[in-house]
Amino acid sequence: MATVSFRNVNKVYPDGFHAVHDLNLEVKEGEFLVLVGPSGCGKSTTLRMLAGLEEISSGEIAIEDRVVNAIEPGDRDIAMVFQNYALYPHMSVRENLAFGLKMRRTPKQEIAERTAEVASTLGIESLLDRRPRELSGGQRQRVALGRAIVRQPKVFLFDEPLSNLDAKLRVQMRAEIASLHHRLKTTMVYVTHDQVEAMTLGERIVIMNHGRIQQAAAPLELYRRPANRFVAGFIGSPPMNFLRGTLKDSMFQSEGMSIQLANVSNEALSHEGNVWLGFRAEDLVLNSDGPSLPEVELEVVEQMGHESIGYFTLLGERHSIRLPATSEVNPGSRIVPRLRPAGWHLFADDEEGCRFARENETAQV
Amino acid sequence: MVSEPKRITFLRHAVLLLFVAISVYPALNVLSISLRPGDQLKTTDLSIIPDNWTFDSYIALFTEQPFLRWLANSLLVSFAVTVTGVALAAMGGYALSRFRFVGRQALMLSILTTQMFPATMLLLPLYILVAKLNLMNTFLGLLVFYVSTALPFCVWQMKGFYDTISPSLEEAARVDGCSRMVAFRRVILPLAAPGLVITALFSFMTAWSEYIVAAQVLQDRDMFTLPLGVKSFQASMSTQWGLYAAAAILVSVPVVIVFIVLSKYLVSGMTVGAVKE
Amino acid sequence: MLDATRELPANLYRRKPAWRLLAIIGLLITLSGCSKQDDRHVIQLWHQMVVNERLFLNELVTEYEKQHPEIDVRLVFKDTEELRSSFQAAALAGVGPAIVYGPSDVLGAYHTMGIIADMTPWLDENARAKFKPGGLTYLPAKDGPQRDDSQNRDLVQVSDRFGNHLALVYNRKFVETPPQTVEELIEIGRRNTLDEDGNGRNERYGLVWNYEEPYFAVPFITGSGGWLFANEENTEPDLDTPQMVAALQLIDDLQRVHGIVPRGCDYETADSLFKSGNAAMIINGDWSWGDYLALERIDAAIAPLPIVTETGQPMGPMISPKGYSLNKNATPAQRDAAMQLITYLTSESSQRRALHSLRILPSRTALYDDPLLTQDPTLKASREQFEQGHLMPSGSEMRAVWDAMRPPYQAVLGGAISAKDAAAAMQANAEQAISLLQRDDQEIGGSWLWAALASATTLGLLFWQRRGLATLLPDMRRQPLAYLLVGPAIVLIFLTVVFPFFYNLLLSFSNMSLTHFQDWGFAGSQNYIDVLGDGQFYAVLLKTIIWTIVNVVFHVGIGILLAVALNGPIRGKAIYRVLLILPWAVPAYITALTWRSMFHLEYGAVNLLGNQLFGIPPVNWLGEATNAFIACIIANVWLGFPFMMVIALGGLQGIPQDMYEAARIDRASRWQQFRHITLPLLKPVLAPAATLGAIWTFNNLNVVWLVSNGGAPSNKTHILVSYVYKEVFNLYRYGYGAALSMIVFVILLAFCLVFLHRAKATENVYG
Repeated sequence: MATVSFRNVNKVYPDGFHAVHDLNLEVKEGEFLVLVGPSGCGKSTTLRMLAGLEEISSGEIAIEDRVVNAIEPGDRDIAMVFQNYALYPHMSVRENLAFGLKMRRTPKQEIAERTAEVASTLGIESLLDRRPRELSGGQRQRVALGRAIVRQPKVFLFDEPLSNLDAKLRVQMRAEIASLHHRLKTTMVYVTHDQVEAMTLGERIVIMNHGRIQQAAAPLELYRRPANRFVAGFIGSPPMNFLRGTLKDSMFQSEGMSIQLANVSNEALSHEGNVWLGFRAEDLVLNSDGPSLPEVELEVVEQMGHESIGYFTLLGERHSIRLPATSEVNPGSRIVPRLRPAGWHLFADDEEGCRFARENETAQV
Repeated sequence: MVSEPKRITFLRHAVLLLFVAISVYPALNVLSISLRPGDQLKTTDLSIIPDNWTFDSYIALFTEQPFLRWLANSLLVSFAVTVTGVALAAMGGYALSRFRFVGRQALMLSILTTQMFPATMLLLPLYILVAKLNLMNTFLGLLVFYVSTALPFCVWQMKGFYDTISPSLEEAARVDGCSRMVAFRRVILPLAAPGLVITALFSFMTAWSEYIVAAQVLQDRDMFTLPLGVKSFQASMSTQWGLYAAAAILVSVPVVIVFIVLSKYLVSGMTVGAVKE
Repeated sequence: MLDATRELPANLYRRKPAWRLLAIIGLLITLSGCSKQDDRHVIQLWHQMVVNERLFLNELVTEYEKQHPEIDVRLVFKDTEELRSSFQAAALAGVGPAIVYGPSDVLGAYHTMGIIADMTPWLDENARAKFKPGGLTYLPAKDGPQRDDSQNRDLVQVSDRFGNHLALVYNRKFVETPPQTVEELIEIGRRNTLDEDGNGRNERYGLVWNYEEPYFAVPFITGSGGWLFANEENTEPDLDTPQMVAALQLIDDLQRVHGIVPRGCDYETADSLFKSGNAAMIINGDWSWGDYLALERIDAAIAPLPIVTETGQPMGPMISPKGYSLNKNATPAQRDAAMQLITYLTSESSQRRALHSLRILPSRTALYDDPLLTQDPTLKASREQFEQGHLMPSGSEMRAVWDAMRPPYQAVLGGAISAKDAAAAMQANAEQAISLLQRDDQEIGGSWLWAALASATTLGLLFWQRRGLATLLPDMRRQPLAYLLVGPAIVLIFLTVVFPFFYNLLLSFSNMSLTHFQDWGFAGSQNYIDVLGDGQFYAVLLKTIIWTIVNVVFHVGIGILLAVALNGPIRGKAIYRVLLILPWAVPAYITALTWRSMFHLEYGAVNLLGNQLFGIPPVNWLGEATNAFIACIIANVWLGFPFMMVIALGGLQGIPQDMYEAARIDRASRWQQFRHITLPLLKPVLAPAATLGAIWTFNNLNVVWLVSNGGAPSNKTHILVSYVYKEVFNLYRYGYGAALSMIVFVILLAFCLVFLHRAKATENVYG
């Protein structure tokens, strides 16, 4: 178990592409940290720098207080699960599991014990003498996982390990990884582009975009108090709805529509220029006394069973509303959505798109 | 695996048999010349085994000619070229496939350019070079030339093979505790086996069948490599066809053996299942 | 050495067996490569003697070494043409054998090049008088100091025999008395041209000889009263004569009118037919007689060639003294030792032994009293023929004349032009070739200007690439491993190429030729103008491009076809695989010749099988330009497909089976699977092979040269490299050849840039 720290880490590729900007991040001992973001955001590069597979352009990375910049991947005491499994095709499953231990000159006896133990935990004992090409996708994934576990590293790294599995297997493996962390309590850094995976697995989630950390926080904190418009839009399904307009006193105005907001902070009020009003699908309700949006027509209704999600168009953008399963609405129904009090966020309309906190927000959830 | 229709199997055999016939017939002709008495290149009939066939040429090769000596020389040179060529190409091709370094593209092209100059014009400067470097009549001189002749193809070939192997395999190995070199040797090299086989076969053949450069470098009959020895049976208008053909047949035997030994690696299909794309 | 090994960390060797293997092999190579060191004086002698002569020479030399223990004679056999080009190259490099042995026809060229020394100082008047006229070859002194002997000539060869003369060899089983006249020759020939089983193919022919080579036409020319040169010095060609026309007509008639000579009769065909008793008579040189006389199956005897009745002249062949010349690079000590050896080898006793064991005509007058010369029927006939012979001119013009005669001569025999036109064409060709040969391009000034231009271009290129160069050092520090890995291969690849390349670049701007062999200098862009201004260049280039495209398409196509057929489970796979690589395994220098025999008009397997199996009428593969070119392509496709098959087989292994399974689920047909999975995934492996294959094919000299026998018929089958080869090695146009090679280089470079760019072959599928 170990801590991991990134200090002012930068990655610039020889062609000049600046993949990671001045990254500062502390991973706590035993933490399950998820790096998430759209493709090309620098999350994989960050992980690969931590693994030692990618050179660090400047700054330093430390694992358990030891700066590892110049240390070979194999000497960092980490294990990694790759997106495409990267099993050694010329070795049997047993040899695949044992390879890392053999490289570390672990005694034969111990290798055998540990391999057997891991195989039984993952339920792959019967596959030990097969070659990777004789395994199914799910089995390969298990072996890849086993290869990491057997090493008993200080830090586990996962590089989008589930993205090649079909939906059902993915859910199953997700649970397995979660229980693995629960059991081992080892520090884990997990990269994914899937926010659902991030939310379900991560103790803490780091959202990255354009090589910069947008926000690093616990899943609910991210959800409830996104630091900026990017995070707000990235986390949550369906994504947050946005309206662009101006703020006059506490009144949000946009193309002839105005919404009265309460508890708007001074910071937001003193902001010059446009703002974005953001609200999630569940922050819109049909019968309540919050500020109302104009009457709209539902275009699509997705039945989920326990609830349904309706979609409507407002100011040229499609928006979503979460409706209780009991509500009697159909495509074509006209509704007047209302905003729950404190069910909205204001963001600056600039490049960073920072959120203005509401007056009565507590610092922590 | 679904078994394929009979029709397809039949078609495959038909194609293979046709080409086997085409490849074997001219080679059998050489065999036929070697069995003919009286140094005749041509005959008026089509039979492969001549009426009055004889092993005289083969016997003469071993009893009257330093054939075994030439064979030993050729084996030494060819194996040295193969080992050196494969080692250097395996490393060079790896660098070209995996590293993005300055001038990489230009280098790849310039490797090819070395093959573009007509060899006939290179002999004169080559001779001067060999003489000035004091490599006349040494196997070392031959080794250098053969390796440098074989390498351009071998390097490109190896690069092509590495390109088909996912880089995440060696990354996994490095995380597992290998240095870059160990990861290369223990994980990537075994997977590039078909490429190594082709490279080895090609290097071997380059050295095994070459005689133009050898004729410039080697002057001593005892130092001759096989092709040079074989060529010494040939002279305009007075070729010893029997010896020439018999030696040519014997020259092909080690090639066939090398091929048989190597071909099990050629069809290993090992990269399958390595990664999921 | 041993101590150094011990000091190395022990685990270096334990952990890296590959390195140890390399080290051991390197050591072995170095050790076995060291020539035996002893303090004996080494004399190298290069010769082109046929086998029995070689053995005899060996015997003489061994005895000599016994008498002179301080001398070590190294005999090296090289075939005639190879001997010539190697000796020239060696001489230019300042090395080479002290002694070179051969016929006298190359001496003019050697002498003009200044690579052989005058031997007068070692042979006094008295010694020289003992040789028959022609036994010693003199050439006008080349810018040496004026000597007293008023003649001012160099002794360039001391011969030990006369030879290379053609005579009639007849099989006594069919011919009782040899013909005295051409009419008798035709008559006997007719009687012996038989088709016994009436299948349209003759079982026996009356007369055979190397029908394609002008050297064998000389007796017909002299018999008709003609000769090849107008003046006594044999420098002005005289080919457009009535006698030449008559000779060509006679040769043509023998086959076309009288039908006693088979069609497509090259040297090997003639030789084989006579040896197997399928020909009654053969015209061949003294080098071949021993074999014929020794064969039990035939009862061979030698007779002088007949007389041409119209002129009353005997058909007199050319005859060449053969002997020893001295390398100009030999040190004074080497010269003395070499001359001592030459004196021994050409001495009366050595020659008498040669006369008795080899039955060859000696060069010393005294030996002509030997009774054997009258007793032995072969020697008797040989001598008679010799008396009617004509000394082969030793000037460089001779070679130009042979080259000039060959294409029109072959064209007459192929029925393409008339004898009269051929004679005119020969003369025109000869004049042109001689003017090329003797062209004396002067060195021109301004080389510094060109040097400056070249340096400026280099600097410009460097400046253009300055950003790349500036990043090189930091990059080397950043990822030293990349450079370490690729370094050794690169060094080795370029080590052997850089010098020859720049040497050729220099040559291409030089006047290096027969007249400026050692003292060549800068001649501007004349060579390039010559190449690009020659219409023939473009025709040959076009043919080369066709040659390359057709070959590579078939190589790759057949290679993939067979690899796909072999891939996956199939019975007898291993056997198929081995048999299919045979064309690659059997050396091409013999299979190419096999293909030449297989394309023979009358006896070749291609025509015989085509006729018997499919009833196709015989095709004149080698005698007709387009067919000969197709024949070369067929032979080369055969030689090249196994290589591509092996590569495709290797490439197929990298294609995961599940891709095919996925494709099958998508209901892709077999062809679609091949088109959309197999081909694209084979690309990274096949693209470099195909690119290099195209380059090699473009520059493949061997196959064209061997199958078409040096561009026959009439130089119509040349591709660029064989064209270069012919110009350089026949007409000594080194500067021209270098310029042509540079142009070939640029063409291939352009092709590769375009092709690789389009195929993106330098990029990797994983980006």
